[in-house]
Amino acid sequence: MTAQRIAVIGAGILGARITRELLGPRAFGREQTVGVTTLSRRPDRLTVLRKSFGNEVQMLSDATGSARLDADVTTVIVARAAGEQLEVAREQLMAGRDVITTTDDADEVRELLELGPLAESLGRTLVVGAALAPGLSCLLASHASELLDRVDEIHIARHGAAGPACAAQRLRALRGTATDWRDGAWVKRPGFSGRELCWFPDPIGARDCYRAALADPLLLVPAFPEVIRVTARLAATRRDRALAPFPVWFPAPTEGGIGAVRVELRGERDGRREWVVYGVLDRPAVAAAATAAVTALWVAAGGAATGASGLAALGATSELLVELALRGVRAAVFEGSQGSLAAQNG
Amino acid sequence: MRGLQRAVLALGLGLLVSMVVRFLGGDATPPSTGGWRELEGPELR
Repeated sequence: MTAQRIAVIGAGILGARITRELLGPRAFGREQTVGVTTLSRRPDRLTVLRKSFGNEVQMLSDATGSARLDADVTTVIVARAAGEQLEVAREQLMAGRDVITTTDDADEVRELLELGPLAESLGRTLVVGAALAPGLSCLLASHASELLDRVDEIHIARHGAAGPACAAQRLRALRGTATDWRDGAWVKRPGFSGRELCWFPDPIGARDCYRAALADPLLLVPAFPEVIRVTARLAATRRDRALAPFPVWFPAPTEGGIGAVRVELRGERDGRREWVVYGVLDRPAVAAAATAAVTALWVAAGGAATGASGLAALGATSELLVELALRGVRAAVFEGSQGSLAAQNG
Repeated sequence: MRGLQRAVLALGLGLLVSMVVRFLGGDATPPSTGGWRELEGPELR
């Protein structure tokens, strides 16, 4: 018996994978009884998904933009391209639904966070940036912070992109302006600056990472009020950097290859300088979809506070990470002396 | 004139070689110690 329904708005690479994740038989140790609706503006895409999911998922075409979700839809995941999620989120909040967004566009994340008072006044939850980074990166930062008495610095790095829309957003971010948190103030830096060699989980290994217009700091700073520095970087090649001023001639592949996210926290524990490095290796679309889906299932179960926040401030870090691990999205910790020395010298 | 041509050719070749070296640069030095370990169940709680 389906008591309530979760709707996925958007049926691209990410939307399709989120739909699949929602159909799992169990979630958080209980039988999963939530129904799933997928809404798309592309009827051809719905036809493809219908062949894959059959009658398990209610497919709703929104080619004219006038489709309305059923009253039993309590939670909505917005899986449209970054930059197209704000209005959908506002509309669904106004309709009395909890909303999970997957955007990694920094400007959009800022605007979504400004919907916090609206969500609170409506008694609804708005989760901002529930994907790989931001999203899983915020969960890892939150979890790593429990190992430290005080967190001074958080540094995020990401490698890879989910689908074509994500790849386009990655390039926009690299060509945009980064916003770092430094000594209690936001600092603007040009994209493709601040090259840093970051070690991701094997087999990706070491990659040059650059500043980019990323949303992670915007979501992490409110969750860690005492933090001094927060930065986010994207892995890119020298070729990406050299070709940055030119238009993109070749479209991105349907789905990107293997990706990773790396989260480094520096701070104090027992009066000593310490560091923690967490990472996740997976296909970006798979990890992002699992993160969005388990977040939606958690919110639909009534476990989240009202208002707008990222995943680090949602208050369900352990629950979500355990559920993600059960679904194959496993976090790893870097153990070694190199990073430790770097942190002590840095 | 001939000298100028040679200078331009030399500059062009230098630029070409430097771009090839830059784009095809080798891997970074791997960390000498340490590695990644998956977090186990109790560590996630």
